[in-house]
Amino acid sequence: MSRNQPCMAANPDHVGIVKAMAGDVGILRNSIPLKAQANMRLLKGDQIKTGKNGKVGLIFEDDTVISIGPNSNIVIEDFMFQPNEKKLSFVARIIQGTMSYLSGQIAKLAPSLVRIETPHATVGMRGTHILVKVD
Amino acid sequence: MPNRLRVAMLFVLILVISGCAGGTMVVLTPNPDGKTGSITVSNQAGAVDIKTPYQAATIKSSTESPNPPTTLNRETVNTIFSDALSIEPKPPVHYILYFEKDLLLTTDSVKLLPEILTSIKERSSTDISVIGHTDTVGSREYNMALSINRANSVRDLLVTKGVDINHIKTTSHGKENPLIKTEDNVNEPRNRRVEVVVR
Repeated sequence: MSRNQPCMAANPDHVGIVKAMAGDVGILRNSIPLKAQANMRLLKGDQIKTGKNGKVGLIFEDDTVISIGPNSNIVIEDFMFQPNEKKLSFVARIIQGTMSYLSGQIAKLAPSLVRIETPHATVGMRGTHILVKVD
Repeated sequence: MPNRLRVAMLFVLILVISGCAGGTMVVLTPNPDGKTGSITVSNQAGAVDIKTPYQAATIKSSTESPNPPTTLNRETVNTIFSDALSIEPKPPVHYILYFEKDLLLTTDSVKLLPEILTSIKERSSTDISVIGHTDTVGSREYNMALSINRANSVRDLLVTKGVDINHIKTTSHGKENPLIKTEDNVNEPRNRRVEVVVR
């Protein structure tokens, strides 16, 4: 398998997908640099790097939506979404650049287990302020 | 019976500039539904809480306490984060299906299938989850088996309608992700559901 080919087989460990992208976007996986492609599946530990004209939108298995601007560097430190085994966790680390984070079900079920690490501080969710809309 | 579900607690924008003149800025913004969550920004030197939309905390270094939150102009925020925001995917859409008994869908739920297929097509989705859920009554084993069988039957139905089986993942959350929170051993039909998530 070539270095730049994402694994398309159904991977039970995949934590999310690349849903949209433009320009130069790479994924560093186990120290191997891959070129990101639309619908590529993401694994825990993946480091997403965008070039000066790169940007990318990600959707995770628990509905978390993260989008990343140019010149950015983000790591998916931890992701567990198995409510039935009570295994829940979401930790992302932004090393550089811009990102937007829209929380998902892990934040609804276990807000204290969601963290975004930055070089200078940690962002955590406060309290159990849960918003649910049912149509 | 409810058949759609949207969940979002909070929406945060983060800017990190590396180097000597660098720092981190964290902005809390409203969710797509208009409500706003709340966050704490902390390091070894201190912590600040943010619960008002368009408030931001800036932090110069990990050994200095975060600065007290200031309110940013909405246009400024949108400009700073314009690239990230421009590529933001639509949040996944959820459908909730119910069963008459065993593996027979209710007529209302059968009516959702064309909508689900349209969503898959519109989003060119290759990542679909079908999740079985139970209420808190009955043995864990029985409930897990039933919820997985029901999830598999919905997956099979989608496949007969042309969805690629490799794009569908089935699982069960048992009783651990209820629609309606109840005590243990409470009969709650609204929790006995199969959820289809289209990304």
